[in-house]
This record gives sequence, C-alpha cells and structure tokens, in this order.
Amino acid sequence: MTRKEFIYFILRNKKFVFSFCVLTFLAVLATFGPMLTPYDPLEFASFPYQPPNRDHWLGTNTFGQDLFTQLVYGLRSSLLVGLLGGGLATFIGLSIGFAAGYKGGWLDEFLMMLSNILMVLPTLALLIIIAAYLPYRGVAIQSVIIGFTAWPWTARAVRAQTMTLKTREFVDLARITGCNNLKIIWQEIMPNMMSYVFMVFILQFGGAILAATGLDFIGLGPTRGISLGIMMQQATLWSAIQLGMWWWAITPGAVITLIVASLYIMNTGLDEIFNPRLREL
Amino acid sequence: MKRLIVLLLIALTIVAFAQTFDRSKTVFVGGGMWSPPSNWSPFTPWNAVTGTIGLVYETLFLYDPLTGKFEPWLAESGSWISDSVFQIKLRNGLTWQDGKPLTIDDVLFTFEIAKKHTGINYSPIWNWLERIVKVDERTLNFVFSDPRYHEWGQNLISIAIIPKHVWEGKTQDEILQSANEKPLGSGSYFVETWDSDRNVFKKNPNWWGIKLLGLDPKPERVVVVRILSNNVAIGMLMKGELDWSNFFLPGIPTLRKAYGVHTWYESAPYMLPANTTGIFLNVNKYPLSIPEFRRAMAFAIDTSKIVDRAFERMVTASNPVGIMPIPGFIKYYPEEVAKQFGFKYDPAMANKILDELGFKDVNKDGFREDPNGRPFKLTIQCPYGWTDWMVSIQSIAEDLRKVGLNVEPIYPDASKYNDDLFAGRFDIILNNYPTGVSSTVWSYFNAVFYPAAAESEYSYSGNFGKYKNPEVTELLDQMNRTPLTNEEGIKKVVAKLSEILLKELPFIPLWYNGAWFQASDAVWKAWPSEKNPYAWPISWGGHWQLGGIKVLFGIKSE
Amino acid sequence: MVGGVKIIKGVKILQKYLTRKIVVYLLTFFFAVTIDWAIPRFMPGNPINVLVSRFAALPESIKVMQSYFTQAFGLDRPLLEQYTSFWKALFRGDLGISIYLYPQPVLKVILEALPYTIAVLLPAIFVSFMVGNRLGAFVARKKRLDNTALPIFYTLTASPYFWFGILLAWFFGVVLKWFPIAGAYSYLLRRSFSWTFIKSFLYHWILPFSSLVLVMLGGWAIGMRNMIIYELEANYSRYLESCGASQKLIRKYSYRNAILPQVTGLAIQLGTAVAGTLTTEIVFSYPGIGYILMQGILNQDYFLIQGCFLFIVIGVLLANFIVDLFYLILDPRIRKTYTGEV
Repeated sequence: MTRKEFIYFILRNKKFVFSFCVLTFLAVLATFGPMLTPYDPLEFASFPYQPPNRDHWLGTNTFGQDLFTQLVYGLRSSLLVGLLGGGLATFIGLSIGFAAGYKGGWLDEFLMMLSNILMVLPTLALLIIIAAYLPYRGVAIQSVIIGFTAWPWTARAVRAQTMTLKTREFVDLARITGCNNLKIIWQEIMPNMMSYVFMVFILQFGGAILAATGLDFIGLGPTRGISLGIMMQQATLWSAIQLGMWWWAITPGAVITLIVASLYIMNTGLDEIFNPRLREL
Repeated sequence: MKRLIVLLLIALTIVAFAQTFDRSKTVFVGGGMWSPPSNWSPFTPWNAVTGTIGLVYETLFLYDPLTGKFEPWLAESGSWISDSVFQIKLRNGLTWQDGKPLTIDDVLFTFEIAKKHTGINYSPIWNWLERIVKVDERTLNFVFSDPRYHEWGQNLISIAIIPKHVWEGKTQDEILQSANEKPLGSGSYFVETWDSDRNVFKKNPNWWGIKLLGLDPKPERVVVVRILSNNVAIGMLMKGELDWSNFFLPGIPTLRKAYGVHTWYESAPYMLPANTTGIFLNVNKYPLSIPEFRRAMAFAIDTSKIVDRAFERMVTASNPVGIMPIPGFIKYYPEEVAKQFGFKYDPAMANKILDELGFKDVNKDGFREDPNGRPFKLTIQCPYGWTDWMVSIQSIAEDLRKVGLNVEPIYPDASKYNDDLFAGRFDIILNNYPTGVSSTVWSYFNAVFYPAAAESEYSYSGNFGKYKNPEVTELLDQMNRTPLTNEEGIKKVVAKLSEILLKELPFIPLWYNGAWFQASDAVWKAWPSEKNPYAWPISWGGHWQLGGIKVLFGIKSE
Repeated sequence: MVGGVKIIKGVKILQKYLTRKIVVYLLTFFFAVTIDWAIPRFMPGNPINVLVSRFAALPESIKVMQSYFTQAFGLDRPLLEQYTSFWKALFRGDLGISIYLYPQPVLKVILEALPYTIAVLLPAIFVSFMVGNRLGAFVARKKRLDNTALPIFYTLTASPYFWFGILLAWFFGVVLKWFPIAGAYSYLLRRSFSWTFIKSFLYHWILPFSSLVLVMLGGWAIGMRNMIIYELEANYSRYLESCGASQKLIRKYSYRNAILPQVTGLAIQLGTAVAGTLTTEIVFSYPGIGYILMQGILNQDYFLIQGCFLFIVIGVLLANFIVDLFYLILDPRIRKTYTGEV
C-alpha cells in the first residue's frame, strides 16, 4: 500500500475520521483549555449551584468551583493516565504474551504464574501502601499501578494467539530457514497480529482511563489536582443529580464515555484500514 | 409423578408464609450503621450495632445535651452523699427482657466484673473507685478513693447494666470475644433479626418504662438500614423510604423546599452542633513551636468562608475557645477571657504579629522566611475523600498563604491520616475525634490538652500536637475533682484553661461539626425540632443515651 | 495395536502435562497467598489504631482496649510467628476473626456476603457473555445493522460504570419510581423461603443485575464482532466459501474459532469479578463482598483481607485451570504443541 493509497483509505474511513476528529479536539482542549480559563480548578471562583452561563460555560458546583476549568484540567490527567497506563500495560502484556506463547514450556508456566499472581493482588491496598511512602499520589503513580496490574489479560490473549499462529505453516517455514526466535516473533507473528496489537493498545488506553475513573470513585484518585474521575466522585458525594445539578453530574461522565468510545471506534477504523479484507463492502 | 406432586406440595407449604412488617408501625433509621451487623455486645460498643446500648441495654442515667441535665433512667436517683460517696437508688420494678427482675445485684455485678477482668474497657475506674457497698436491696454506695466527678458522670451514661444470670461465670475472653447474637437487656427494644444490610429491633411490650416512666415507644419495629452512600440516602428520603436520617447530606435548602425534608432548625444552620472541629498544631516543630506564630495563624483563618462553601451554612463558626453552644457546656463560657485573649478573622493582625516576630519575605518569593531568613513550608492534612474537610483545608491553606505562610494542603488516605494523627507526625491537622458532645466540658479540655499525649508515642485521646504544660495537667485534675454542683469552681478552672488555650493555641477551634439530622414526614410525624425540642435527634452509636431514644417516644404515625 | 500404544502414550503425555500444571498452580497459590498476607502488613499504622479511632470514649478505656485487642489478635508477636500460625490455622480451615466486623469469624462474614454477590454477578456475566457474543456475531458484516448497533455497544462499554449506574438508579428508582434503590429485599421483610420474599428479592435485584449486564454486554459484542470479521476473512473461510459451503456453516466455524479468546476473557473476569462488584454495591446500596473487602482494606483488617483474597486466588486459579483444559479440548492446534500428535 503506497502512502497515497493509505491516506486515501484513511480519509475514506468514516469511523477513523470521526474518532480522530473527536480525540484531536479533546486533546487540543486538554492542552490549550487551561489557557481559556482565568480560574484555578480548585479555586472558589464564584457563586455555587450556577447552571452553565456566559462566565461559567459548564456552570459551578456546590463549592462555586468552575466546572469548565475542572473539566479541561481533568481531561489532561485522564488522557495522560490512558496514554501512560495503557501504554505500559500493552507493552508488558505483549512482551510476556509473545514470550510465553512462543517459547512455551517452563517459561510459559512461569510467566503465566506471574500473571495469575498479579491478577489477585489487592490493588487497593497496594495503592494505599505506595501512597503512604510517597508525599502524594499523582497521575504518574496511578498510571504505573494501572499499567502493572492491567496487563495479565493482554498477556493471556496474546499468548493464546501466538500459540495458534506459531503452528501455522509460515512460521514453521521461517523456523526451517533458520530465523531466530525474536525475528520470527517480530517478522512473522507480529504482522499477523497487528490489528490485534492495535486493538489491545486502544482497549488498554480506554481501559486505563476507565480504571483510573474507578479508582477515583472509590477515593483512591490522585491526591493532588483534579481528574474527570474525581469530578464524578465529587458530583456523587454531593448528590449533584439528586439536587438537580445535571451539568455537574452528567458532563464529566459523558466526556469519559466520548473519549473511550472514540478510542474504540478508532481502533475498529484502523483495523479496517490496515486489513483491506475488513473494509466495508 | 406422585413423588413430584408431593415434593411440590411440600415446597408450596414451606413457601406459603411470610410476615411483612406494617409500614405505619415501622421506622427506618439510617446513618449510624456502615458495616454489616456483626456484634451486639455491650462490652465492645465500638463495633456493636447502633442501639445495642440504648435500645437493648440501658444505662443508669441518660444525659440530655439539649438541657444539660442528667436524667435518671435505670436509676431512680443518684447523688453525692459526701465528697467521696456516690449513692444510687435503683427503680423498683425493673425487669430484663426475659421477665426476670433487674436487681441491685445486676448493677453490682456490672461493675465488679470489670474489677476481675482488666480487659473490659471501663475497668480503669477501679483505679479510683475503692469499693461498692450494698446499702439495701435498692441502694448502692460507690466509695471513691479519688473521686473524679466528671469522668464518673461519663461512665454513668456509658456503662450498660448487664444481667448477672447471663454473664456470670464467663471468662474474660468469652466476654470480650462474644458477638452476643441474642442480646438480653432491659431495654425497650430487642433484636429481632438482621441481615447484611439491616438490623431489625422489635418493641419489647413488657418494657419497664411503659409503666414506670409512662413512656411508650411508638414504632413496633426500628429497622436500622445500612446505606452505603449519601446519594442513595437522599433518594430514599425523597421517596419517603427513609424516615430518620443521620447522614451528612448536601443541599438541605433544596431538600426542604422541594421534598419537605424536616431538619432541626428551619433555616441555617439547620443542624445542631455535635463536636468542635479545628486544627491541631505540632508544637514541637519550628516555627509552629512559637505560640505567637500559632496565634497569628488563628487570626489569618476565615472560618466563615468554610461555613459558606464547604458546609453550605449547615455548621456555625466556633467561638475562640471552642466550647460548644449546648447548655451543659456554654454555661461555663469565659466571656471575659475570650474577649481579652480571643481571636477573630483579621489578616492585618496576623500580618502584624508575624512582622513583629521577624517573619518577613526576604527573598520576595511571596512567602515569609523565618527571622534567620530561611524559607519554610508547612502542610495541613485531612483524610482523602472527606470532601467537606478537603475543601475546608484548601480554604485554610489559601488564607494562610494570603498572610505569607507557605502552607500546602495534603490528603493522605484515612489509615495514613489516622496513623499520622495518633503519632503526632504532622504540621497542621484537621480533626474532631475527641471533641464531641458529652456530659461535661472537662472532656473538651481533656481532648485539647490530654496530658499523657506529650509523653507517649501514640495518643488516641487528643492533644495530638503534643503540647506540654504541667499547669494544665493540674487544672484538668482539679476540674475533674470539682463536683458538678460547684459550678462556680468549674467556671474558674474553665476560665484558666481557656486563657492558656487562647494564649498557647495547640488547637485552633474553627467550627462545630453538625449533628446531621434529616427526617421524612411520609410515615412518621412530630419529629423533634427547635420548636419541639423533646429529644436529641441522633441515632449514632453512643447517642441513644444522649436522648436519641426519646425520639421513639415522641414521633407519631397516622 | 499401534493405535492403542499411541493412546497410552497420549494419556501419559497428558498426565505429565496435568502434573506440571498442578505443580505450577500450587506454587502460584502459595506465592499469591503469601504476598496477599504480607501486603496489608506493610500499610502504615495498624488495625487497632483504626478501631480506636472509631470509638469515642474516655482516654483510660481506650488504652485498655488497645492493649487487650493487640494481644488478642496476636499483633504483638513477631511477624514470622504470625505468618506460620496463619498457615497452620488455614490448614485447619480457620481464617481467623475479623477486626472490622469483630468478633465474627472471617469465613462466616464471607459466606454471608458472597451469595448476594454471586446472585448478581454470575447471571450478569453469563447473560452478558451469551447475549453479547451472539449479538456481536450477528451484526458482523451486516452493513446497516452494524452501523446502528456498533455505536450503542461502544457507548455502553465506554461509559464509567458507576456513573451509568447512578443515572440508571436515579431515573428508574427516583424519577419513575419503578424500582427500589437500596437493599437486597424490602426492609419490611425478614429473610424467608416464601413467594413474597422471592418476589421482593427479584424486584430489588433487577436494577443492579441489568446495569451490570448492559455495561458488560458492549465489550463482548465488540470483541466478537471484530473477531468474526477476522475469521470470515481468514483463508479457511475463503476456502470453504469457494467450496460452496453455506454462509451459515462458515459463520458457525468462525464463531467457534472466535470464541476462544473470548473464553479466556470470561475466565479471567470470573476470577476477579468478585472484588469488582464494589461499585454495584455502593451505587445500589446492595449487600455483597466488594464493599466488605474495601472496608477491610481501609480498616486494615488483616484477617478479613487475607480471607477474601484466599477466595479470589482460588477463584482465579480454578478459572484459569479450567480454561487451560478447555483449550486443550477445543483447539487441536494447541494439543499438538503439547503432545506432538497431529
């Protein structure tokens, strides 16, 4: 596929174009949004309980904090968690999955044992312990924790795929021609799973954002700054929906849904671009 | 086929009967139970289902914070007949829930058992209680080697009288490690059933109080429900599925207007005060070790902002001493001392004090440096997730930064926060654990100054900043040993303690956290309120004896 | 005869394979349990502190309580001793006493709460798995259907669960008043084996159950849709197609292949989901093990944490073991890598 063709297919793929636009818009908002607002996310900017208006585009909460400001700052940390946490989880999951699936034997057993142990680690307690030894819990720490605990399913799935692929003819062929293992994984198995790898990364990206939101909700979010999850947690704690503050209760959740859904849609779109066979007929 | 029919029939008969409680005779109570019911033991009240003491087990006296008076309950009367002898007279005709009479021997047993088993939480009274003399079948004399009048008062309202015929002969471990799933007390309710999300109390129709006190518990059943979040509680209140709520709920004006939710006051602050919340300062850490520096901080903090923003005016700002505006406390309020040594929000004054101390912004970074020109930074903490407090310490830090003090709010997880608090590992910490409503203002000063804290590694009972002053120790002892009837004497000591508090400020009182109370009129009416203040409207553990129980005598259903 | 030898050889290899698996799983169990034993003990403070912080009492009473309970729980003994006595007790089936829910035995606490969790979770997982996969397979490669169903799946799977749950509870519980918003059954009932109770239970169960199904459905459906398209485009499908096989048959084979990774996902979810019901419990004030576990952790209840994680560890390992066996049966290619047979 030439570059021209590639661009042509990209532009023709509605799913990709749509999600790309949405994500770019959100990323731009996260980057430059803080410049658009005179407030600090935790500052008592104005009167509480204000619905969206000219001064406060998304209204204010119970404390009179500006929700647009919170949203743009929160967007920043949420995207960051997704990128860092999801990236880390994908990387670990892929490496371990390939190694375990391709090598098999005791290495496989050992790595799967590791993944099983990790799956049953009490993430909550771990977060509390880590927090206790650090002055505060930031977005980076949260990402690392998510990255290190979210990889097992990826590893297992990749391992299973590798195991099926490695028995296929072209791999046998490569082995006979004397390619070394890394090369086989890299050149023969990887490309055949490219779409899968993409799917994994994007699922992990979205998954990390959702996981972070979940942690925020139960009170283990970053102890400094704001995130979309913390906004939602506060909206819940202060009964925003019950008290009629829909602008507080709905917005952050809707934005998260938008981000994660766009990621998934982009994944499907990319899938179709890379695999001509998958394109809509 | 036949067999199948038989089985089906059996199944149907098993299935036939179910009892549904009558809603109009059942009151749903929430806010006092956060974990699944696990224990109904009067010996482990910290983990017992709320109401274990109060509804099932009863104390000799109640204390009503609304009037500031002890009320005889199981006891008919009680008084100091000499400096060191407290005499109680037991009511005649008391019975246990199994029909056996509750006698003076049960009362005696309740105290004696703590002499034998030193693991029981009230056993330390035997360090200052010498012996108990049975005068006659209804009278006991408590003879003290060291009469601590105030502590004794607290004990009278917190020690549950237990039936001798049930607990006799049990070992210490059996007593303290029992879940006591079939509690047998003397109270107006007994435990009928429970599940992970509820505990059902059923009225004791033979309760002694019906005859002896003329009080009739109105609800046939009290269902304490376990609700895991505030917004579910709000939803239930709106739907009329929760009658008596003691949650911290936001948006009270909206709830009142749109859903007719009942509160104690009709306008702000809506809630009664339940404890004094403020900041403990680590007096061993420079520059917090300088009393004048602490005083400057007190002038810099604008509590009204916290009251407005974090609490939507559901709380009130504290007076400078921190003595709660409840009759039993406020009558000792040292007006003169407060006027002379008190503080109020006045950043100019704070700036002046700091300037005079030599704390100046030398390097022009916006923050003051110490007199030697060294920059310093302080942290203020509260548990993560306690949103109202988090907003409060943000506000405090903001105020302190305005007068040039580099203070940063931090939010450790609750377990770390507790550990830091008890070990005194903090700069500034927001807290209210030990400063709650009680029968004596002594408990407030003891919490603020708790002398043993300065020496020990951990303090659980106050003075978390480890302030040390032998004079205070003496004054606290003196107060504890001043009879409650000697109000002038107590007032003098309170004035002295207040003066020290205001001059030294190891604790800066800020506001009174509320006794959160919301009620729904859907089924039950005539809830207590400012205009009809017949009961302290709280169902938390330990508050039934403060008059929470009386709510059940006063409410009405159609 | 040759065939018989081959079978015996196969059985032997299988035996070897199983022994190896079991050894690994036992090792995993040991390490996982040890780590879960150790982790809470690294937390700052100790459980007795937390307990004390909840108890407003006279200072002297607090001191007495502190020392008694530290001793009663053996927290004053050296760590190694605590560790060995933990294993010893475990083999007797004793999980210790909960501190947070003192003095209930941990086992009892778990067995009380687990049924509620299972009642909501298991049906939700299976229903969402079945329906999600069917739906995903059904819409794949059907242009118009695909284009309308896909966005719905995406929205469902992308929304934060608690947010979605709160909106559901608010709309159906408070605005429309169709369903109750708290409790496992009416607060006016006692637990009994009666129609009234069963009806009440189901009535309270619907909202938590369906919210879980809805959010989990999307993920399965999308996964399956993508997998099916892959399989449909794989060489074997093309080959079948060129042989003139019916579309139905091809889809059937694709489904069989595509379900494999989905099953892996299912197994993992089954194992860990017990701890993940926390949100459902908070949002709908529903009893269960998730909230208890979280409170155990926040209250540093060592014994309760250990007990819960023991169940989770066993759950995850069993699920994985079953998946391993399942693969062995389902995918002949994997059997080949282990046994060498074709």
